[in-house]
Amino acid sequence: MGLLSPQDEAVLKQHLSAITKPVTLLLFTQTFGGSESGTVAKAILGEIAALNDKVAVVEKNFVLDTEDKAKYRVDKAPAIVILSDGDDTRMRMYGAPTGYEFVGLVEAILVAGTGKIDLDPQTLAWIQAVDKPLHLQVFSTPT
Amino acid sequence: MAAANPLITADAVEATEFMDLTRKYRVTGVPKTVVNETIEILGGLPEQDFVRAALEMPDNEPPTTA
Repeated sequence: MGLLSPQDEAVLKQHLSAITKPVTLLLFTQTFGGSESGTVAKAILGEIAALNDKVAVVEKNFVLDTEDKAKYRVDKAPAIVILSDGDDTRMRMYGAPTGYEFVGLVEAILVAGTGKIDLDPQTLAWIQAVDKPLHLQVFSTPT
Repeated sequence: MAAANPLITADAVEATEFMDLTRKYRVTGVPKTVVNETIEILGGLPEQDFVRAALEMPDNEPPTTA
């Protein structure tokens, strides 16, 4: 029995069918001294990837894979780095993607896999005009 | 936002998992967004209001990001 119900899987599969570009989910976990949420994150990502062959999960060790950790500027685990056709989308998720976080993860995968950004043209223009680094951290809880 | 501009990085942080950050940024309610360590946006806002707040745009003015 997976974490997703058969009904959820069917709906998710339908959404993911819009993907045209390969999406890689880099999952950084810490085996020793890490939290249970790394195991939960791995299970969830595995179930998503099983629904679409353009979505792949690559596991990284938060302690040992120092090169990738530095490359993607990952400073805590569990972390999910979302790549679109191998390129960093600069979208990260920290912690297990359950509850509301799961919806955010699926939306991020769809943006990475379709290249489509569902924003109002005016808002998009404002964002594209930003000419200095901007780091957003959005805190949420599963429920 | 991150997908639309290579200068933008967006982290979704599960607040109960990273209590040190939750304390550091005084997260007392969710969603809470912290931009560049300084700007704080509490709650879910309509798209344009959120982006205006994140970019510190004055009301009814075009963005000033320089």
